[in-house]
Amino acid sequence: MKAFWPIFKRELFAFWVTPLAWVLTCVFLVVQGLHFSVLVKNFAEMGQVESDQTPISAFFGNTVLLYLVLFLLVPPMTMRLFAEERRAGTIESLMTAPVSAPAVVLAKYGAALVTYAAMWAPTLLYVVILGRSGSVDWHVVGASYLGVLLVGAAYLSLGLLMSALTKSQFIALVLTALVLLVLFIVGIGEFVTRDGTMLHDICAYLSVWAQMNDFASGVVDSRRVMLDCTLIALPLFLSARVVDSWRWS
Amino acid sequence: MISVSKLTKRYGDLVAVNNLSFEVGKGEVVGFLGPNGAGKSTTLRIIAGFLGQTSGKVEVCGHDVALDSIEARRSIGYMPEAVPLYPEMRVVEYLTFRAELKNVERSKRSKSIDAAMEKAGVADRATSVIGKLSKGYRQRVGLADALVASPPLLILDEPTAGLDPNQIRDVRKLLRELGKEHTVVLSTHILSEVESSCTRAIVIAKGKLVAEGSIADIGRRSRSPALVLVVRGDAAKAEEKLKELDVFSGITVEITDEVATFRCAWKKRADAPENTERAVAALVGAGLAIRSAAPEQSKLEDVFAELTTEEPAKGDDKE
Repeated sequence: MKAFWPIFKRELFAFWVTPLAWVLTCVFLVVQGLHFSVLVKNFAEMGQVESDQTPISAFFGNTVLLYLVLFLLVPPMTMRLFAEERRAGTIESLMTAPVSAPAVVLAKYGAALVTYAAMWAPTLLYVVILGRSGSVDWHVVGASYLGVLLVGAAYLSLGLLMSALTKSQFIALVLTALVLLVLFIVGIGEFVTRDGTMLHDICAYLSVWAQMNDFASGVVDSRRVMLDCTLIALPLFLSARVVDSWRWS
Repeated sequence: MISVSKLTKRYGDLVAVNNLSFEVGKGEVVGFLGPNGAGKSTTLRIIAGFLGQTSGKVEVCGHDVALDSIEARRSIGYMPEAVPLYPEMRVVEYLTFRAELKNVERSKRSKSIDAAMEKAGVADRATSVIGKLSKGYRQRVGLADALVASPPLLILDEPTAGLDPNQIRDVRKLLRELGKEHTVVLSTHILSEVESSCTRAIVIAKGKLVAEGSIADIGRRSRSPALVLVVRGDAAKAEEKLKELDVFSGITVEITDEVATFRCAWKKRADAPENTERAVAALVGAGLAIRSAAPEQSKLEDVFAELTTEEPAKGDDKE
C-alpha cells in the first residue's frame, strides 16, 4: 500500500493540470448556482412554506437536476482513470513498479473522490448565504452532503470499473453513463411497480432518488448507507481483479 | 539474477514464447536478440512482471515473478519498448513520482533523481514538460526512470530504437558504463548493438532459443560464407585450379609482393569442410604453397540472419 500516496498525488495532478477538471467544475458550479438561485427566488416568492420544505432539502432532494449533474459529471471524471493509461501504454511502467493492484485502484479512486468533493465544496457557500438570511438546519445540511458524497462515491466507483474494462475513454464514458442511467431507472421503478411486490421493494431499495429524498430531509438510514458502501466496495474489488487479470490475458 | 525455465506464453493459438530456458548471472550484460516478433518483448515483459506466463517458471533475484511479484519487481529497473510516459508532467516531477513509487527513501530521493538524470543525460531538461521532448530525450527519461532506484537488474527493451546515430552511440557508451554496476538485459534486433555493449548474447526466433553464448561463440557456430586462402606462387594458376573445382560462386583475389589472398565464396556452405580439403589438395597438387586456409570470420549480422532463418542450432554442425 506504500504505492497509494504517490499514485494518488499523481492522479490529482493529472486531474487538475489538464483542463478537464476545471471545465467540469465550471459547468458544475454554473448549473448548481442557477439551480440554487432559482430555488431561493421561488421560496422567497412563496412566502408561507411548510417547515420541512427548505431550500436545502429542495436543492438536494426531490429534484432531477441533481442526477442530471452527476450524470454529466461522473463519466468524464472516471473515463480516463485506466482507459487512458492502457491506451497510452503507461500502464506498463505503472504495473512493473513494485505496486499492488488494490493500491493502484484505491489511489486512482481516492483522487477521483477528492476531486469530486472539491467540486462540491464551493456549494457550501450557498448554505452560508442561507444562514445569513435565515436559520439553517445543520443536521439536514450534514445529511444532504453525506448523501451527495455517498451517491457520488458509488457512481465514481462504478465509473472506475468501466474505465478498467476498456482501452477506450469514449467507451468507458458511454458504459458509465449507461450503468448510471440503468441505476436511476431502476430507482424510478419504485413508482411504476405495484406496492407490496418484491420488484417494488428491490426498486425502492436501490433507488438513488428515494435515498437523496431521505438524506435531504435529514434522515440517514443505515440501509441506504449500506447500499452505497456496497456500490462503492464491490466495483473497487472487481476493478482490482480486472487490473490483476491484465497480466494473464 | 534471472532464471527462466521452460517458459511458454500463448496468446490464444499463437505461441509467442515456446519452452524458453536461460540464465543471466550477476554482472553480465546480456543482449537479447531476435528479429521483430521473435518474442523478445513478451519474454522481457514476463520477467518485468507485466505479463503472466502460460507455463514455466521465472525467478528474479530468487523471487518467483508470478508468486512473489512485488518483491521481484523491486529489484528491476524496466524500460518498456515504447517508453510510455505521462506527457503532462515535467521530467523531474515524473522521476520524483517514479522514485516514490519505487520506495526510494525520502532523504535520498533528490540525490537519486539527480544522479539518474545525470547518467541518462536529461539533467539539462529537468524542468521540461515531457510531452514537448524529442523522442531521444523521452528515451533518456525512460532510462533515468529505470535507474532512479538503483536496482541491481536493468531490463531495457530496445533501448536504442528510434534514436539517431549520435544518440545511439551515447546510449551504447552508457550501457557499457551501466554494466559495471548493474546486471543488464537489453533486447535488440541490431547485432552491432550486442557486439558493442554486451558480454553475452541470447538469440531467439519464433519464441525459441536459437543460440546462446559469448559473442565470439555465436559467431563461430555459424557457417562461414567464404574460404580465405593465402597462396604463394603463381596466382593465375591458383585461380584457375580453384575455378576448376566448381564449388565457389565467386572468387576475388588480392595480390601483394609475395602472396595472393583469395576470397572464395561458397556455392553451398554445408559442404565447406570437404571442399576446403579438395581446394587445398588441388593447389598443393599444382605445386603451389599454402600459407593459410581459413573460413572467413563472419559478421554478426550474417550470423544473425543464419541463426534466425534456419531451424534451431543443432543442425548447424551436421549438414
